[in-house]
Amino acid sequence: MKKYLAKRILLIIPTFIGITLITYLMIRLAPGDYTSLKAGLQGEIKAGSISKTIFDQERKLYGLDKPIVVGYAEWLFNLVKLDFGKSRKDGRDVSSRISEALPITLTLNIITIFIVYIISIPLGIYSSVRRDSTFDRGTSLLLFILYSLPSFWVGLILVMFLSGEEFLNLFPLAGIISEGMENAGFFKKLVNMGWHLVLPVVTLTYGSFAFLARYTRANMLEVINQQYITTAKAKGLSEARIVIVHAFRNSLVPLVTLMATLLPGLLGGSVIVERIFSIPGMGFLTFEAILSRDIPVVMAVESIAALLTLVGILIADFAYALVDPRIRLESKI
Amino acid sequence: MKSGYWYRVWREFKKNRLSVAAGIVVVFLFFIAILAPLLSNDKPYVYIKENQIYFPIFYSHRDLDGIDLRKAGHDGFKIFPPIKYSYSEYDLDSIVLPPSSKHILGTDEQGRDIAARLIYGARVSIFIGFIAVAIYVSIGIMMGAAAGYYGGIVDLIISRLIELMLCFPTFFLILTILALWGPSLVSVMVVIGLTGWTGIARIVRGEFLRLREMDYISAAKAIGVNDAMIILKHMLPNSLAPVLVSATFGIASTILIESSLSFLGFGVQPPTPSWGELLNQSRDFMDFAWWLTIIPGFAIFITITSYNLVGEGLQDAIDPKSMKK
Repeated sequence: MKKYLAKRILLIIPTFIGITLITYLMIRLAPGDYTSLKAGLQGEIKAGSISKTIFDQERKLYGLDKPIVVGYAEWLFNLVKLDFGKSRKDGRDVSSRISEALPITLTLNIITIFIVYIISIPLGIYSSVRRDSTFDRGTSLLLFILYSLPSFWVGLILVMFLSGEEFLNLFPLAGIISEGMENAGFFKKLVNMGWHLVLPVVTLTYGSFAFLARYTRANMLEVINQQYITTAKAKGLSEARIVIVHAFRNSLVPLVTLMATLLPGLLGGSVIVERIFSIPGMGFLTFEAILSRDIPVVMAVESIAALLTLVGILIADFAYALVDPRIRLESKI
Repeated sequence: MKSGYWYRVWREFKKNRLSVAAGIVVVFLFFIAILAPLLSNDKPYVYIKENQIYFPIFYSHRDLDGIDLRKAGHDGFKIFPPIKYSYSEYDLDSIVLPPSSKHILGTDEQGRDIAARLIYGARVSIFIGFIAVAIYVSIGIMMGAAAGYYGGIVDLIISRLIELMLCFPTFFLILTILALWGPSLVSVMVVIGLTGWTGIARIVRGEFLRLREMDYISAAKAIGVNDAMIILKHMLPNSLAPVLVSATFGIASTILIESSLSFLGFGVQPPTPSWGELLNQSRDFMDFAWWLTIIPGFAIFITITSYNLVGEGLQDAIDPKSMKK
């Protein structure tokens, strides 16, 4: 096990370098110097309308005056020190902008994941127990249709019919809190935020039921066919006890490891949903940054998200190796 | 070939009625995409006037230049396509009209016919779907085959590369690249193609690792067949079935990614119509023009569902467990 651990951890290093290198090169090598947007176009410099000094200062600020290797090394060094630089938009630290957006996305995603798990797992279990019944087929088709509905379309339709003045004005149009509610009492504030989050959460959840429910169902079916389940039945245990205590416990493992892979998505946020509902979270921040070419923000978000995924994959691998000795043994050969 | 592997897959696939129906929709959409200029055009197929016969869609006739044959004053025998509008033709006298007999799916803010834009949008979406998936299937097969066949250091490097690609937040990555390098039809296809290959590579690698241990491969090696021949002729055909399934699902997700990108304004650029772009435009008129939102989204939904259902059917059909039944 130790050897496996060591090997997996060592292999992170080349992947980490690869991730940061690609992020850096993608932006460094893009056509049209990205400083040009702020400092004015190259043509304007030649025309003399913008001073060359400002342009050079811009370039220097982003390390563009240095050779690629040096620029990359400096950026990487700062990244390791968790210094992401300053946002071009308002000159604030990228880390402080991220720390504003992160809690919002985190709240949204934790609620979403909670709802997805609490609905999908029982559905999956029940479908596996009543395999090939009308219920099983019906839910599987329904979830499949939900899965195929594009989230930006559903988001738009929800906004169109359930908020705004034209049809039903049930939910707020945008944001996460009403104006003037920021200083209201805790409970009032909570209710107001909850009310704002209903539509975004619906848009984020409905498509994910299918995957998790089917995953649970498939895992349960594998377990249900095992001999010890037959034994349990032969002993005369009740069906509920067999399903929950004997079968479900053993299909939990893949579900737990699945959580590890959810980690990065939890922080990344959804550009589409945050944009439709104007939620100032990570997705919104990144999208704005991409639009205005706020490179330090883009690079920070992308490399952080990639690193977190890497950690997530690693945790999932370890969890599997802990539970399933075959993986450890194989790696020794 | 009646007893061949693919024949058996087809026989299994046919048993699933829902997937077959979805397959018909897929073929239907494909023909709509190919035949777009014949389904929606501002010119007639045939125009007969004073013993002169014209085919305005197929040939440009000099004496018809600049003449709109739909207007009064051009008598004669005419056969028009089902939608008598081109996708880029605007009419500021009829902006944001609901569906009617004149414009069966309504018009947008520039008075363009939604049905025409939808038909051409099918062309863009499906074309991007196929080309992008073709790009990443090719890359994925090459990477997966090399890793699975040679193993060792090659496998180690390619596996790191796959892991690396899996780590990136793909959608952000695609957005960034398109923002910096300029969004266009070609760049959308290339970027999706370059970022999407890992799934296929993992499948092919797995299949090759399994096949490599088989006796017939050892036999081929023993009689001196070269590597390229073993890979292309003996191993690849036996690992194509799961690739096909994955590619079918891939087309659905590519169409979704493309429409999401166009929805955010980072996909195909106007005036080229794409379903996502139609939805993006609809946002400004959402409070009253429901048809601008409902119709393109429904087209995306139907297309994605159909490809996914075909993928499901194929998956069940190639699964040896279900074949024994």
